[in-house]
Amino acid sequence: MKKKLLATMLSASMIMTMAAGSVSLAAENTEDPQLEKTIKILSIWAEDNDNGVLIKSICDQYKEINPNFNYEYELVSADNLKQKVATLAASNDLPDIFVYEAGKPIVELIEADKIVDVGAELKTLGIEDNLNPSAVALLKNLSGTDTIYDLPLGHNVEGFWYNKALFEEAGVEVPNTWDEFEDVLKTLSDKGIQPLAAGGSDKWGVTRLINAYAVRTMGADALSKADQGEASYTDEGYVAAAQKIQDWATAGYFGEGVTTVDMNTAGTMLMSGDAAIFYNGSWFTSNLNNESENLAGADGIGFFNVPVVDETISPADEYSMNCGNILCFSKDKYDEASSYFLKYFVENIGNEAMEKQGSLKGYTYDVSDDSVSGYTKVVLDEIGKAQSAFTWWEATMNSETSTVAQENVQTLLNGDMTALEYMESIQDAHDMSAL
Amino acid sequence: MKNVLANKKAIALFVVPALVLYTAIVALPVVWSLYYSLYSGSPGLKWEFCGLDNYKMLFNDKNFKAALIVNVKYIAVVMFGQVGLGLLLALMFKFWLKKFKTIVRTLVFFPVVLPTVAVGQLFAKIYEIQPNYGLLNSLLDGIGLKSLVQPWIGQASTALGSLCVMDIWVAMGFYSVIFYGALLDISEDVVEAARIDGAHGFSLFRYVLAPLLRPVIITSLVFSFSGTVKMFESALALTNGGPGNATKSLSMYMYNVSFSYSKVGYGSVIAIVIFLICVIGATIIGKFDKKD
Amino acid sequence: MKKKFKVSSVLIKVFILLLVIVEVYPLFWMLTASFKQGFEWSSKPAYALNEGFYVQNYIDAWTRGHMSTFFKNSLINTLVSLVFIVIFAVTVGFAVTKMDWKWKDRVAKYFQLGIMVPVAIALIPLFQIYNNVGLINTRASLILAYIAFGLSLSIYLVTGYLRSLPDEIMEASVIDGCGIYKMMWHVVVPLMKNAIVTVLVLQFFFKWNDLLFSMTFINDTSLKTVQTGLLYFQNEFGAKNWGAIFASVSMSVMPMLVIYMFLNKTVMEGMAAGAVKG
Repeated sequence: MKKKLLATMLSASMIMTMAAGSVSLAAENTEDPQLEKTIKILSIWAEDNDNGVLIKSICDQYKEINPNFNYEYELVSADNLKQKVATLAASNDLPDIFVYEAGKPIVELIEADKIVDVGAELKTLGIEDNLNPSAVALLKNLSGTDTIYDLPLGHNVEGFWYNKALFEEAGVEVPNTWDEFEDVLKTLSDKGIQPLAAGGSDKWGVTRLINAYAVRTMGADALSKADQGEASYTDEGYVAAAQKIQDWATAGYFGEGVTTVDMNTAGTMLMSGDAAIFYNGSWFTSNLNNESENLAGADGIGFFNVPVVDETISPADEYSMNCGNILCFSKDKYDEASSYFLKYFVENIGNEAMEKQGSLKGYTYDVSDDSVSGYTKVVLDEIGKAQSAFTWWEATMNSETSTVAQENVQTLLNGDMTALEYMESIQDAHDMSAL
Repeated sequence: MKNVLANKKAIALFVVPALVLYTAIVALPVVWSLYYSLYSGSPGLKWEFCGLDNYKMLFNDKNFKAALIVNVKYIAVVMFGQVGLGLLLALMFKFWLKKFKTIVRTLVFFPVVLPTVAVGQLFAKIYEIQPNYGLLNSLLDGIGLKSLVQPWIGQASTALGSLCVMDIWVAMGFYSVIFYGALLDISEDVVEAARIDGAHGFSLFRYVLAPLLRPVIITSLVFSFSGTVKMFESALALTNGGPGNATKSLSMYMYNVSFSYSKVGYGSVIAIVIFLICVIGATIIGKFDKKD
Repeated sequence: MKKKFKVSSVLIKVFILLLVIVEVYPLFWMLTASFKQGFEWSSKPAYALNEGFYVQNYIDAWTRGHMSTFFKNSLINTLVSLVFIVIFAVTVGFAVTKMDWKWKDRVAKYFQLGIMVPVAIALIPLFQIYNNVGLINTRASLILAYIAFGLSLSIYLVTGYLRSLPDEIMEASVIDGCGIYKMMWHVVVPLMKNAIVTVLVLQFFFKWNDLLFSMTFINDTSLKTVQTGLLYFQNEFGAKNWGAIFASVSMSVMPMLVIYMFLNKTVMEGMAAGAVKG
């Protein structure tokens, strides 16, 4: 049911995006009362990096409209984000605005009544149309609520990026089915090319691969079923997915010491031709667009969606999608001044992101996207093809289960744990956390 | 004399500020932890009295057992590595090194002042295997030992060992200086007399130096034990507890349980276990001290 | 017998030489690596020397990496807490060994218990306490914790040293007309120089390396210490900029090296003489 809704939303969004121009202008009719306020922002990006650039520039622009506005920008490492927010929440000291993770983590904050119902707030401010409907649908889906409690900071598809030169060298084509995919990997490996690069030290880079196979063989709701208890993590299908990735590791597809490689290094390996395929989200374009970083050049890297196992279970136009890390507003700190900032943020971030970085953040924009780079265009096209979406491996897991799922994936890769033991450890953690 | 040393005002001034601070920040939290250990959830989020449930949970918790084993292995290896190699270095300063004594002593002590995280990053690069060989693997490769090239911190079999090597590397210079000082205190006459009696090399150490050094060795073991039992910084910096939980210590597990899983009560139970290990360890080391 | 000794002594010498190389080489390597440009990492083996001196690494580390801020914070936190640790260790140590009062043994024991308290156990309650009095995200939160957790071991060291100090010296000073404070400052403290140096070095080692407290109590970038700062470094530099990372690491080492060279003799002698009495 949810899937269908999402599909409709997605196609609707394509039209919305094109006709967005008038919307953001219309919302600018109320004058900003220039209320005095210092907003604390907790982020995982430095002010000159990724979304940090956008948040900072929106804040600085808003300061010109409201000179009484001020902001403090705090940085925390992405690894440490959940711990930090948990401790701040426990002591009722959440910052005004903070970056967080969608899925189960935000559900816990919603249940504890810590964050603002952003959806209702946007409605009051009359700016709900500034959000991309498919992004909104995704967020609702992830938190399992009828309204959104967060703002997207990305509108991403995930899939396999591949090095075109290496594909040519090995004489392989982009695979459509999973069987073809396996053949490609085998051929690459036989030709002495490392088929896959993966961020084993960042862990999620690998669990995404298990997820890809699990969803393709069991459908988009596979993980939420296991979470709800309708299925067990130790059921055959899940174990088979874990087994698949372990087999790849055993076959040496990831190269040596994959558990010590982080996502950045893995990406560099793809671009420098040390590995042929790399699973990552569309945010990877920011690296691809960087000429000094991307040795493969402006057209050297291509993209393909997770290959299909069975069209009836999970079709080719179903993509792994997400809204990246999200922004939440602390309920205790939210007031009228915050609402004006929220309004300005929502109205402008879409354009800012498209102009500055050529990236989609889940908002409408009215600047031209003709000038975007080849890679950004690839992503826009892929998002355009998406008819339905699935989420990531840990999206439905609470932090305890997701920690175990991520940590043990390294053990799985090293072969110190069987696929069944891996899935059992997840089931155990799931049961434990319910105590 | 008596009056001066029984000056009540002075005693209060000397003792009270430290006592208050120590009680508020060290002693009080320990007691507080005992109280917390009877609750489930985390303060502010689902905080409920649960009796001894947390203690029961400990016995069925595989992750706890794994962390305990990792931690004990780490203490054993690092404590003896730091103190043993420190002692060896000190013997070298004293008996073999003539010319560059001061400069070598200085250099060897130096890693002590490096921030642990910096050391972790340095060693991560030393142990690296993909995309390029790090220092260790490229050296092995260079001298024709290709078969030994491996993901040192990427596999469970070598990760803990690699971490131990790093921590021994950091601190052995520190202990060498302590031992060197102790060796200087041993008079030349004693050593000479022993030499005349035919004690050389190992026997000189075993029968003459070791007994004299015993108090220092024990003090050093106490230092090293109190440092290793908390095992947190270096493991976080080098391996982040991985791969899997091959290098995850009790403190790291406690940190996760309390702050990521929002189970402060259960985290307190683990903290109490760490405390008990400290008490037991210190008692054992203390036993060796009593013989004199 | 004699010959056997010689062979083993050569072996020991080789072994020890190896130890020294192992101890020193990584530092040398770190320094050369800090001057490497990006491409040198991938195109040459790791042990190769740097091609030129790429100073941009240091500029990046200092400005983008906020190393200057982290450094200042670490230094302030460590130095302030060291001063207090030494003062408290000397005064409490003196009071429980040499002075005359009823509770002195019990107080000494009470402080000694703290040696066994792992930092982890206090973390959660301390977070709550700090939070209630508004100390989270302040320098004071770290300094207070550093001092309190440094006391036990320091007092233990100082008392061990003081016990071996003959009472006659103090008696002489009392006969000369010294009050308790004058005696502390002019007689006891100078005599305890070595014990104080040991405490300083040992505690410096612990405080400078703290990560657990600063990770838990500090969010603000401008208050972060070298340790926490370096931990976030990789995130800030996006794609691994190893040159800059090594530059910051080297930079965090340099002032230490200078201070250390400067104080080397005092530290070595003090440590050597002070620790034995434990």
